[in-house]
Amino acid sequence: MNLSLMSLEIVVVLLGITVLMADLWLPAERKRMLGYAAAAALGLLFLNTFTSHCSCSLTDGQTASTAGGMFIQDGLSVFFKRFFLIAAVLVLILAVEFSDRIAVGVSEYYSLIIFALAGMLFAASANDFVMLFVSIELITITFYVLTSFTRGKVVALEAGVKYLILGALASAFMVYGIALVWGTTGKFNFSELSMVSAKFAENKLFLFGVLFILVGLGFKIAAFPFQMWTPDVYQGAPTPTTAFLAVGSKAAGFVLLLRFLFTAIPEVTAHWKNLLIVISGITILYGNLCAIPQRNLKRLLGYSSIAHAGYLLLGVAALTNAGQSAVLYYLSGYLFTTLAAFTVIALVMRHLDTEDISGLAGLSQRSPLLAATLTLAMISLAGIPPLAGFFGKFLLLKAVIEQGATNHGYYCLVFTALVGVVISLYYYFGVVRAIYWSKDVPDRSPICISRPMRLAVWVCIAGMFWLGLFPNAVLKLADSAVSVLK
Amino acid sequence: MKLEALPWLVLFLPLLAAGIITLFTLRNKTVSATLSIGAIVTGFVLTLAVIKFGGWEARELSVNWLSIGGLNVDFGLKLDALSLMMLLIVTGVGSAIHIYSYGYMREDPGFSRFFACMSLFTFSMLGIVLSNNFLQMFIFWELVGVSSYLLIGFWFEKPSAADAAKKAFITNRLGDFGFMLGILTIFAIVGSLNFGTIQELLKVNPALFGASATLAGLLIFCGAMGKSAQFPLHVWLPDAMEGPTPVSALIHAATMVAAGVYMLCRAFFIFSPDALTAIAWIGGFTALLAALIAVQQNDIKRILAYSTLSQLGYMVMAVGLTGPTPAMFHLTTHAFFKALLFLGAGSVIHAMHHEQDIWKMGALRKKMPVTFWTFLVGTLALCGVPPFSGFYSKDAILAQALHAHNYPLFAVAVFVAVLTTFYMFRLFFVALVGEPRTKEAEHAHESPGVMIWPLRILALLSVIAGVMGINKIFDLYSSRVLPPFTYEIPVGEFSGAVKYVGRLLEPFQHAPVAAFGGLIAVVIGFLAAKVLYGKAKTDPLPAKLGALSRAMANRFYFDEIYEATVIRIHDTIAAISDWIDRWIVEGFCIGLVRGGTDLTGRALRLVQTGNLQTYAFLFVLGVAVVLWFVLGK
Repeated sequence: MNLSLMSLEIVVVLLGITVLMADLWLPAERKRMLGYAAAAALGLLFLNTFTSHCSCSLTDGQTASTAGGMFIQDGLSVFFKRFFLIAAVLVLILAVEFSDRIAVGVSEYYSLIIFALAGMLFAASANDFVMLFVSIELITITFYVLTSFTRGKVVALEAGVKYLILGALASAFMVYGIALVWGTTGKFNFSELSMVSAKFAENKLFLFGVLFILVGLGFKIAAFPFQMWTPDVYQGAPTPTTAFLAVGSKAAGFVLLLRFLFTAIPEVTAHWKNLLIVISGITILYGNLCAIPQRNLKRLLGYSSIAHAGYLLLGVAALTNAGQSAVLYYLSGYLFTTLAAFTVIALVMRHLDTEDISGLAGLSQRSPLLAATLTLAMISLAGIPPLAGFFGKFLLLKAVIEQGATNHGYYCLVFTALVGVVISLYYYFGVVRAIYWSKDVPDRSPICISRPMRLAVWVCIAGMFWLGLFPNAVLKLADSAVSVLK
Repeated sequence: MKLEALPWLVLFLPLLAAGIITLFTLRNKTVSATLSIGAIVTGFVLTLAVIKFGGWEARELSVNWLSIGGLNVDFGLKLDALSLMMLLIVTGVGSAIHIYSYGYMREDPGFSRFFACMSLFTFSMLGIVLSNNFLQMFIFWELVGVSSYLLIGFWFEKPSAADAAKKAFITNRLGDFGFMLGILTIFAIVGSLNFGTIQELLKVNPALFGASATLAGLLIFCGAMGKSAQFPLHVWLPDAMEGPTPVSALIHAATMVAAGVYMLCRAFFIFSPDALTAIAWIGGFTALLAALIAVQQNDIKRILAYSTLSQLGYMVMAVGLTGPTPAMFHLTTHAFFKALLFLGAGSVIHAMHHEQDIWKMGALRKKMPVTFWTFLVGTLALCGVPPFSGFYSKDAILAQALHAHNYPLFAVAVFVAVLTTFYMFRLFFVALVGEPRTKEAEHAHESPGVMIWPLRILALLSVIAGVMGINKIFDLYSSRVLPPFTYEIPVGEFSGAVKYVGRLLEPFQHAPVAAFGGLIAVVIGFLAAKVLYGKAKTDPLPAKLGALSRAMANRFYFDEIYEATVIRIHDTIAAISDWIDRWIVEGFCIGLVRGGTDLTGRALRLVQTGNLQTYAFLFVLGVAVVLWFVLGK
């Protein structure tokens, strides 16, 4: 077994353990800073992925696998590993900022984030049902804890319990599905499964199993009809957890979905155009419509995250490499945009019990930088040029329209997506209005932002503009990443 | 640093200055002015460096901005004799005006905002000059419109300034609409908007545009009609004088209004013979109309504004007479002497405490000697007295009319030259010599050094620009767009300073009829002005000309005619659209959709009860539905 291929994952796990151990010896007032150290370490690991002696260094189109083919390293996995590392760095910085609201066990909070990251890294490389299931459980179980980490708050506990029970339900379906697929085909490995899956395309029992697996993945990405948990969990969880859930966990779901649909069972997927179109369309409409009456910012972003899962499914439904590459591009933009939004929420709502939109009143005077950041994030989420969200949506819609000739359902889907965009403008701009045009401003005290936080905010802003204005570099990466998919 | 980077710097430095001033230094006047002046002066020096090391050869620098599928959008700079010369004018004259503004605007509370707008304008104007394709040019074209709007309405608290800004913007938009249609027509036929590509294709296949050649040309000309204020869209320019005087000098004399002429020369190869004839006549008519109006104006800036209109008419006429070289030559000299005249007028207005009526000035020679003498130089140059620069460029236009065998337009041009001399010396005799007519005129004093040095420099240029060989440089460009495209100009002919003396007399050998026609016009105009206004206390013309004089003074009632027709019709349509929008679109259609969406959102929210059993139930129900959807059929 070639362990060097997994060196990144191993180092991340070791880092998590180190943080946990360091907690024993560090004096209490230093523990907070441990988060910065961990973020810095992950930042170095991220930079290291671009050097030649990293396990992620691959020449174009090359793939390598280990652990009996369970663990695969290719363009797709490397793209997502970098994605997860950036997300984790920004979330850790946010977590340090948030740590004064966590009563005990700050270091455990950091290390759980790192363990969840390890799960995501494994997910990016999963090429086998066992690896898929284990990595998903590693992510999900750490998230159960992360969600209810502020034990004193009832909402957090409630959110954790809901996530746990519904997550267990989804996992049960998934395991059952894996069992059925294994029972019919006798294969665990995606590469091996792809050789025989065409034969089973008509086998009901096999399809039953595949659908159950998709239920599990649909739960992760919060697609209709498995989205019920999202708003409650987003609202109740501590803000850094929510941010990581929205970005990391969703992306992990998507990388598994892409790999499963397009490397293990491409022949079956090709028959499921209509299913994907319908799910994508309904998810977009559901998320956007439910977001309209929301007053709680995190809940609003929860619904918006459902809608964005729907947009991302557009690229999956297109069943082309252009669509898959658009998914990757959109996720990259979504990373910076969403983290920017949650960062601002965590900073502004520090002393408030609820995250009501009215808490944003007067933000433009309290901190022009944060006001501008949240505004840009909303504009990007709404998909207005020149920010990342616009170009991502443009690529997704373009990929779908190109397929329009093969199935007219695609045109309906594009129309639905556009309707969703129009609806979303309403509630996103409700947030912007609260920032700049609130009449009643209870709190006018300026907000101080620590230096690492300021850096993180600027990184998010730069990311949004960069992906919106100069798409070529990331687009090229995404294009080569999806070349392994069919 | 590589030479290729310099033009980019020239273009983007003013934008950087505008950005920094707006964001950071609004409160610090000196820093703002230094940034803005520094950006444009650096641009001028860098342009000189580009010419010194890169020469006048045509070349293109472009970067791929966006590439999606088949659509490639380039952002490119075109450097050739035409654009480099124009760069020199914009940055050179612009520098002088920027420096002058430092003195003129010193007391103004919006000082920093003024310089931010000026830098934004410079950026946009340089963008037009450097564009290598129609789309990019159009973007900067609109940016110029915006910055000119901001500058005309600089004193927006005055209703007249705010109205003038709106009028300028809307009138320009009318022309730009035609321009855009023209660009779309070209794109539809050729499939490319790059100037070089279009010209190559036209060279291979001259009948590329087919029947729509004239239409496309005239639509493109609409853009120039707006920016260069040609009849019938000329009405905005005189009103634009509501802006600060340096703005009038920079935008409404030297650069922005020249953009239309520049664009016509840049896209010269597109125009069919019919289109060129129409352009020539519109130019000639504008020149005549504006000169007639200028004769009976009393506001010093308005006289200069109508004079600008009239000179722009000359340039447009020259382009129409297949002469891009004379047009650009006159544009260059005009930029010098008209900027000089405006700055001189500004100096007078400054000294007179913002009095602009020429009948309240007088006897300024002793009190403001530099202003007086430089103004006289500008006047002589504008009238076309040899050896001042205006003589050579105007002569080139007259000669072009003869060369094209268009004798009616030649006659018009000579007559306009008579009128030009007449109204300029009317202004000169009334405002600058004679008796002081008011108390302010008695107590006027010279402007500070920062204002009169730009006057001196521009005066020098107004004298010598005619014999520096500028027209030979433009010939380098013209030889590439005029058939048969192979006309070679020996480079030695214009390099070096040896031939200045020879060039002094060149017009008389080259086209004696035009040269003597121009001279006679000057003499007639001067004598008429001397007789009528040499010692006049009030204007004698209204009594002699009667109704005609009133029509001239009232600008031939164009504003009133537009008010009664175009604006009336427009207002009616607007009222009807407003009603439809308010009641049918907004009230019925949108109201229904909005209510429906809102209701659905609220209803769906009820599903989200927060009850875990419900969630689990719906989850399983969802699984069942998906299974049925895929397997049940």
